[in-house]
Amino acid sequence: MTSVPIPADTAVPGPSLLARGVGFFSGPVGLGIKLVLLLFLNALALWAIGILLTDEKWLAVLAIAAATLLIDLVYLLPSRRLIPLKFLVPGTVFLVGFVVIPIVSNANIAFTNWSTGHNLSKDEAIVAIEEVSLVAPADGRTYTATPATKDGELVLLLVDDVSGDLYVGSEDGLEPLPREAATVQVGSIVAAEGYEVVQGEDLAGIDTELAALVIPAGEDSFVRAEGLSIAVELQPTLAYDQETDTFTNIETGVVYRDNGEGSYESASGVKLEPGWRTHIGFDNFSTVLTDPLVRDPFVRVFIWTFSYAFISVFIQFVIGLFLAIVLNKPDLKLQKVQRAFLVLPFAIPAFLSVLVWAGLLNDEFGVINQTLGTDIPWLFDPTWAKVSCILVNVWIGFPYWFLVCTAALQAVPQELTEAARVDGAGPLQVFRRVTLPLLLVVTAPLLIASFAFNFNVFNNIYFLTGGGPYGVEQSVAGSTDILISYTYKLAFSTGQGAQYGLAAAVSIFIFFIVAGISAVSFWRTKGLETIR
Amino acid sequence: MFSTRRLRVVAGLAVAALMAVVVASAGTSATNQTTTVVIWADADRVPAVTQVANAWGASKGVAVQVVQKDFGQIRSQLTTVAVETAPDVIVGAHDWVGELSANGSVLPLSPSVATKKQFPAYALNSFSYGTAIKKLYGAPVALENVALFTNTKLAKVPTSFADLEKQALAAKKKTKAQVGLAVQQGAGGDAYHMYPFFSGLGGYIFGTNKAGNLDPSDIGVANAKFLKNASLIDKWNKEGLVRSQVQWDTARDLFTKGKVAYYITGPWFLSDIQKSGVKYAISGFPQIVPGLKSTPFLGVQGFMVTKFAAAHGVESLAKDLVASYMMRPASQLALALANGRFPANVVAGKQVKDADLRAFGKASVGGVPMPNIPQMASVWQDLGAAWVRSTKGAGAIPARRSFIGAQKSIAQKIG
Repeated sequence: MTSVPIPADTAVPGPSLLARGVGFFSGPVGLGIKLVLLLFLNALALWAIGILLTDEKWLAVLAIAAATLLIDLVYLLPSRRLIPLKFLVPGTVFLVGFVVIPIVSNANIAFTNWSTGHNLSKDEAIVAIEEVSLVAPADGRTYTATPATKDGELVLLLVDDVSGDLYVGSEDGLEPLPREAATVQVGSIVAAEGYEVVQGEDLAGIDTELAALVIPAGEDSFVRAEGLSIAVELQPTLAYDQETDTFTNIETGVVYRDNGEGSYESASGVKLEPGWRTHIGFDNFSTVLTDPLVRDPFVRVFIWTFSYAFISVFIQFVIGLFLAIVLNKPDLKLQKVQRAFLVLPFAIPAFLSVLVWAGLLNDEFGVINQTLGTDIPWLFDPTWAKVSCILVNVWIGFPYWFLVCTAALQAVPQELTEAARVDGAGPLQVFRRVTLPLLLVVTAPLLIASFAFNFNVFNNIYFLTGGGPYGVEQSVAGSTDILISYTYKLAFSTGQGAQYGLAAAVSIFIFFIVAGISAVSFWRTKGLETIR
Repeated sequence: MFSTRRLRVVAGLAVAALMAVVVASAGTSATNQTTTVVIWADADRVPAVTQVANAWGASKGVAVQVVQKDFGQIRSQLTTVAVETAPDVIVGAHDWVGELSANGSVLPLSPSVATKKQFPAYALNSFSYGTAIKKLYGAPVALENVALFTNTKLAKVPTSFADLEKQALAAKKKTKAQVGLAVQQGAGGDAYHMYPFFSGLGGYIFGTNKAGNLDPSDIGVANAKFLKNASLIDKWNKEGLVRSQVQWDTARDLFTKGKVAYYITGPWFLSDIQKSGVKYAISGFPQIVPGLKSTPFLGVQGFMVTKFAAAHGVESLAKDLVASYMMRPASQLALALANGRFPANVVAGKQVKDADLRAFGKASVGGVPMPNIPQMASVWQDLGAAWVRSTKGAGAIPARRSFIGAQKSIAQKIG
């Protein structure tokens, strides 16, 4: 609602902005805009509720309904006490939508076994297990099938692929079809007396019915359509018992029970595929703390992540500040052009720069080694790879600090520096005693934020080194993997592939690490504020 | 402020909006009567898939909607897609099958016996998965593998590996190239392109159990036979036959600019090579060690029916499209040639005139499909990293140590 034009006569001191805003939205035009916006909101909520209702997500329906109602009331009820809320609500909505919900859902995933093989709901998994357990019996037959109807009931007209015998298959079973009653062309029945063959465009209409048609064929086998022209005899090998919630192998009698971890498991530890998604308590968290695969590289990766973020930000800041001071001279020629050039790296998408750098830094074919005539293993030696990561990160990040410092320098009062100079301080002393402390007051919070940000910059590592090179002893994490890329590898290249639950748990650990470091830093830099 | 009359106006407006939404949503669902089969395909194949599937759809009264997706994203998005927008049929690679079926995302297929006879056993096998009961989950369409390209101006098609080595190094000296044979690795490694060397030295990834299924507990990355031959890798590294610094683009450029005599790559760079004007010949790999065949990894691409087809009420239709219609020779030819691959269907294969594609087919003989079990996710990085460590030139780690390390890491990751 900030886009609503404010009257242009701001020069005239009148009622406060707040009062004028409130007044505007009570006038006819403002009210109209407000109503239209609210109607859009309500329509959106209604649309979402419709979808959620079909998915039977009752809690979400309730939450959205309540929130929408609340918003409507806040903006429609004519009470003065609601005015602060009118300003608070939009912010709160965005906070909930973009911060609270992702955090809650991430935390929720961390308590599940969501991974490859555990992706369905339990009901879906039972259906899938039953489907996978079907086998063709030893003497199982296959048929060429033609869907047809008799008195409105769907049947299959079948030709045995081996013997060529004809049958009619219905829910009641297989009946032989006299050869003279049917017309067979290229191995399939195209017409039969008393039956109406379903063909052409009518086939689309019978799909659900056809997929559900089960024709009893033997003692425990049945014939089923597989597509529109094929039918096969199948036999289950596992039987599901709803009462006890177990699967039993029909032949061997082995019983598979719900193991509480999203799988049916036999006494000897054989699990049925697929499993399902379920809550498994703190298992993922204990895996992070106890599994050597996760735990061993953690400290190494953490130290490197910390140094990578710290060194990068420090050098970025130093270079940015240096350039800002150099280019701050008022009598500099082409000052604006020079500044614009320095900001260029910032304007190029970071991942593109990283990809270009990866090519430049190639040991044998890269421009850098070829130009310098050196033979530095930029990306293939563990230590040099770390240097490369920092180098590239500095290149991407220094323009930001150049901009910030340029702006901050304007805010340093000239009287102070002049006063210091009058008192006999040299330029270096002025910088150290006056300019820098004042600059830090402004930039310290940004430095901390930037540090926290660099903790989690996935692209720079992923596109430059891919976390490598890998030492012989290194498993999940390579020499340059930072916490977030290491989490990605844990999630997608261990076990059976995707391990979303475990990754969510690791990311919660990372969250606390970053939050902890930031909190401590903010607390320590409070001292700077006393400078003013 | 508000009067009660104004409030009434507001209430009336709200009700009107409500009704508008209800009517609108009812209207969209009422018009959505035609049965639609949704197919996810990659950009290269969209035209061919559209053409083949539309011809099928017209005869069945079904609308076909082909949605273009990035090839790799088809796999990852299938686990997170909402039912409403989910595909009924996807194009995919055979090595996705383990993960997708373990997730219950794809449905088993039963093509007719006559149809199955038109496909090589390995192509069907590569799309089959199951820890207890193996089932077919995809209709193979196109085959792909890497082969050996020879720059016929610089060298002859090698008759033995020693011959290859000699000619490659001679050409290297002549052109002052950094390597004798171009094969892509890069910092991240590339176990797929290095597989001819790996298999030629006796390496394998997973063994097979008694039931004939791949066994993730039998890892052959550092098996005794391979380790015995591993010192050859150190020799290649020393003489500069291969280098892990060679990325996909450097490898291609080395060959297309006539710097190297040999290049290992697949049909995806065929047009680049043709455009470059380099005179080339495509062949299989010479035997490296007596008694061991050097073969490429085989990739099979095909179509699968997703679990969503059942929810959308098009299960039988989708199965008919994939397991019958798309497996026909005519469909196979159109679908495979759409992005320059050899068709999986043998009858269709006989109709392929392109000599280069036929040569790729010849080079694939004896190869094994990439393992399709989901544990393969734990292998790629370590196997690639082992090659990177041992072929990075100066400072390379002896292959024996390097591959033992990889084997240990893989076993630990699979758990």
